Amino acid sequence: MINDFNYLRPGTLKEAFAMYAEHDDCKVICGGQSLLIVMRQGMISPEYLLDIKSIKELDYIKFDKKEGLRIGATTIHRAIEKSDVIKKNYPVLTAMENKLASVQVRNWGTIGGNLAHADPAGDPAPVLITLKANIKVGGAAGERTMPLEDFSVDYFETALNKGELVLEVQVPVSEPKTGAAYQKFNLLESDMGIVAAAASVTLNGNGKCKDARIVLGNAGSTPRRVKRAEELLIGKTLKESLFAEAGKIASEDCEPVADIHASEEHRRHILGVLTKRMLQKAFEQAKA
Amino acid sequence: MEKQLLRLTVNGQEYELYINPKTLLVEAIRDHIGLTGTKRGCDTVSCGACTVMIDGASVKSCSVLAMQAEGTKITTVEGLEKNGKLAPIQKAFIDHGAFQCGFCTSGMIMTAQAFLDENKNPTDWEIREGIEGNICRCTGYNSIVRAIDATAKGKYEEDRS
Amino acid sequence: MNKYTVINPHSEFKVINTHVHNVDGVAKVTGRATYTFDVKLPNMLYGKILRSPHPHAKILKIDYSRALELPGVVGVVTGKEDTLGIKQGIWRRYKDLCDEQILPVDKVRYIGEPVAAVAAITEEIAEKALDYIDVDYEVLPAVFEPMDAIKKDAPEIHEGFERNINITRHIEWGDVEAAFEEADYIREDWFKCGGQAHMCMETRVAVSSYTDGKLTIYHSNQSPYYLQALMAGVLDMREGDVRVISTYTGGGFGGKFELDGAIFCSAVLSRKLHKPVKIVYTREEDFIASKRRTPMLYYVRTGVKKDGTFCAREAKVFTNGGAYTGMGATAIYLTGFFHSFPYRWKGYRYDGYRVYTNTLPSTSMRGFGAPQAMFTSEQQIEWIAADLGLDPIEMRRKNSHYEGYEVPGQATIASCGIDQCYDEIQKWIKDKGKLPANRAIGISACGFMTGGIFNWFDTPYSFSSAVVTINYDGTVELRVGCQELGQGSNTTMAIIAAETLGVKIEDIKVYSGDTDQCPADLGAWGSRQTLMTGNAVKMACEDAKKQLLEFAYAEMGINIVYDLDIKDRWAHIVARPERGMKYEDLVKKALRAKDGQRIMGRGYYTPHRKGMISPAYSYMLQGVEVEIDEETGKIKLIDSLTAHDCGQPINHLGLIGQLEGAFSMAAGYGYLEYMPFEDGKLMNPNLVDYKMIRATEMPPTAVAEIDTYEPEGPYGAKEAGEGLTNPTAAAIGNAIFHRFGIQMKENPIKPEMILKALKEKKEKEQEKKKGKK
Repeated sequence: MINDFNYLRPGTLKEAFAMYAEHDDCKVICGGQSLLIVMRQGMISPEYLLDIKSIKELDYIKFDKKEGLRIGATTIHRAIEKSDVIKKNYPVLTAMENKLASVQVRNWGTIGGNLAHADPAGDPAPVLITLKANIKVGGAAGERTMPLEDFSVDYFETALNKGELVLEVQVPVSEPKTGAAYQKFNLLESDMGIVAAAASVTLNGNGKCKDARIVLGNAGSTPRRVKRAEELLIGKTLKESLFAEAGKIASEDCEPVADIHASEEHRRHILGVLTKRMLQKAFEQAKA
Repeated sequence: MEKQLLRLTVNGQEYELYINPKTLLVEAIRDHIGLTGTKRGCDTVSCGACTVMIDGASVKSCSVLAMQAEGTKITTVEGLEKNGKLAPIQKAFIDHGAFQCGFCTSGMIMTAQAFLDENKNPTDWEIREGIEGNICRCTGYNSIVRAIDATAKGKYEEDRS
Repeated sequence: MNKYTVINPHSEFKVINTHVHNVDGVAKVTGRATYTFDVKLPNMLYGKILRSPHPHAKILKIDYSRALELPGVVGVVTGKEDTLGIKQGIWRRYKDLCDEQILPVDKVRYIGEPVAAVAAITEEIAEKALDYIDVDYEVLPAVFEPMDAIKKDAPEIHEGFERNINITRHIEWGDVEAAFEEADYIREDWFKCGGQAHMCMETRVAVSSYTDGKLTIYHSNQSPYYLQALMAGVLDMREGDVRVISTYTGGGFGGKFELDGAIFCSAVLSRKLHKPVKIVYTREEDFIASKRRTPMLYYVRTGVKKDGTFCAREAKVFTNGGAYTGMGATAIYLTGFFHSFPYRWKGYRYDGYRVYTNTLPSTSMRGFGAPQAMFTSEQQIEWIAADLGLDPIEMRRKNSHYEGYEVPGQATIASCGIDQCYDEIQKWIKDKGKLPANRAIGISACGFMTGGIFNWFDTPYSFSSAVVTINYDGTVELRVGCQELGQGSNTTMAIIAAETLGVKIEDIKVYSGDTDQCPADLGAWGSRQTLMTGNAVKMACEDAKKQLLEFAYAEMGINIVYDLDIKDRWAHIVARPERGMKYEDLVKKALRAKDGQRIMGRGYYTPHRKGMISPAYSYMLQGVEVEIDEETGKIKLIDSLTAHDCGQPINHLGLIGQLEGAFSMAAGYGYLEYMPFEDGKLMNPNLVDYKMIRATEMPPTAVAEIDTYEPEGPYGAKEAGEGLTNPTAAAIGNAIFHRFGIQMKENPIKPEMILKALKEKKEKEQEKKKGKK
């Protein structure tokens, strides 16, 4: 049962900032595909609910060959999934969105809402972090931008200050010879990942690894980079055995929590397998 | 907390409701307006029995506050018939036996309709992905997939004017 | 994507096995079908149930005075104050198995058990009020697993049940020891079979209205008659003063023919408060406080000859019965019986022990003990064939039942198409050719009952009855007590009526799901309705038709040696079909001749001389092609074939739907639908964590329908749609066995279990190598 709240629906971003600053016990809803579930369970019961989903100013997908991609916070998942410019430049994002929950959820849920919810099992964050995304947040006091990997700070907790909203996700243009891949391990196609791994690989002109990123989903309290494995790869001529080794590191450098769906040991194992496979997949894309 | 006035447009009719803002869209549709075709099967946005269309897109009405739907056009299963004639997808469901107990059917049909509006030529897998947000405990889905496929192929088109 | 092949088709029918649309179709696709979930009565209150947080505790005191002070709360009921404290159960014939008070008077036995119920003007207030009911418990030691519960010092869950053993069942035929002596090879295995939630899309829900000494209940269930009788029993009312209406039921699967908290508490509240009361279970309540498929520990010992001839089998089963008996008394018998199926054993012995624990009660669920029986039996048989180097299909075939076979002292098989099922499966496997390395095929055989014979409910009524009324205009009203849950029984009965009367399907209006308007019938469970209610409908329609034809003889003035019949609304001489009269005209005239009375026919069915178990048995083989990821253990179903003998199919669309639906539920039981408990608490009572097959997990489902003729069934029909819940888990297990050589002795088979078995296998192989060196 949802506890009573007062409903605020600003028409503009400015209004939203003002309302958010004005009300103390205020929670932002931007789609609410996860939030309403926890509110129904009585886990969150704010006095005010600030609904920013209908703020048009934040509903956009913009791409610039130099600046890269910018996605407004109130953009629904479905718009990202169907965006041609994203499909062309960041196919891994399209593929990730296509497997995010169900079409109904993607039709109403937003990217900003998803990131602010900070569920470590969420799909977009690991992928965006491998793509070196930044997140722009802001409120009445002004705006700031930070690497997305710094945004989640704990289970369902973010670096947002009081009065700040998620405004935009920024994804830089991928370097040439870059590949990226994401896969979650789940029992049903439409499920969140029991665990997940995203990887990107950039190759030098000489075919050696120029850069690599590995981000694990649901392997701890936040999306988690496996820097030790990234370092292992950078500068090397990539091959299967290295990916296996990186996978082994991934299965060590994580803190997955056991539940009824899988033990900790199994989760570590799968994280290793997925890391290996995603690196391989990203590598093949980078070569192509 | 104060009740608020809400104007909802459902199946082309405008309804004026006076509701607690925490009212879910599915509650507004079923309990306030009285259209009980839309069902509820869970509390976790998992089953899809409550699926309706908002501005043509399928949405689970248990995951939307009624207030959020102000200014949109909502279609429920009751809005598919025209002049007493069933929509092609409804006919297809009957012709393929794509329901059993029928409790998931309203939501399944709304998901299917929204899917077909966007996908004129879907593959088997695309249809399956299109309805993966809806649980049907009875049919095993394959009859539903066949019904959607046949509808996409235009088998149940007719003049409904 | 779907292939439906009919082998041995019969084509003399006009309606039977044709493409008939479901008679409730328009109501269901337009949202007009009104379920109990949709019922709203004037002046109605909403009820909520306070549930036990403890798996085992004495209720010392319930103080609800604070709840009553809450504005909008109308009343509270407790077991002690507002019920007669009658221990009820659906096995009415046996008082010691009637062990459940829906609102317990002094003790709770599982987490989620109702303790009190409150009614208020809104559901929200009722829910809030639960927080203001204060209950003093004395928490008792609890026990959750059957092997713990049978220990000498285990807590006593029900008084007088030593070692918490609720029921024992013994089945035996032949000289088992001698038959084992004949065997060249004996294999024994232990298995662990999981529970499963019915997970009906419509949760348990009821609206009760008590006025003027009479009780009307809208309730989502599988057998309005059972609910009527059980409610009358617990409220000490006459059955006839209780009316149960269940027009549309949003799924049942074996979980909706006993009393549940929704029906009982709403009725008790309504009787106390004199207003209608509606109770809807949330999905979580439906998971934690309904009932479930029975988890079982299975010991199987099987002896065979070198050539694969089956000699003897011995099985021991310990089931986790949970807190109450429910339909568990039937499940514990049927699992033992069907564990022998579909094979001939010279000696067979089964001992089943149903054990009480402090967990959610176990009961019937689609397959009724047989899915566990087949998961264990059909895998072990596959392993035995491998151990002996025999073809597993041919080994099964040579030991299978056949038409005319008598299961010693238990049943006579009057129709059996399993031999052709083997042919179809073999053909399917052969046509597939070589599979990719990560895939394998598994098969499993099965047989199942067509309705139960044993009268444990102690009904004084015929098992099924039907009344047919023909109106002046030729329209037909068919009243049946069988219950439509989606399996299509309304349509099946309309088909049988239309075929028998010789009219069109649109002439038939079916009335079901209302104890005031329809004759008593045991309802939808154990695959009984097509055969039992179908026979009653056929008999009723034959009765009505006879009255019409009697008049037709006189009207047409024909020689009495001629046979008359009606087909397609044309009453005619069978030998000279062009000579006849229109059915509509015949009805009008016949009705006048009867002084204006409508033509009425009555029919009934009660099984006689058919043994103790069932009047008929269906047979089937399930083949599944499975892909398994060796590194992650993830299972994906790629393809399937069902070869199936249900006698004469009646409702073509309904049959396909039943088979596909059963497959999906059975596959879920095989690899997805786990129900983990911790200290008696179900850990996944929601649809995020309880996993079920969705459209993306469902493989293509081809069906080869082998038509046989079952003499006891209406037009030769027997069971379809429940039996197919049984073989699939084993088929998946067998595919994994063929892919990796590992034996999955626990279901559902989770990825982690596959990896663990693979690891153990590798370690064993390495040890062997070391040993050789």
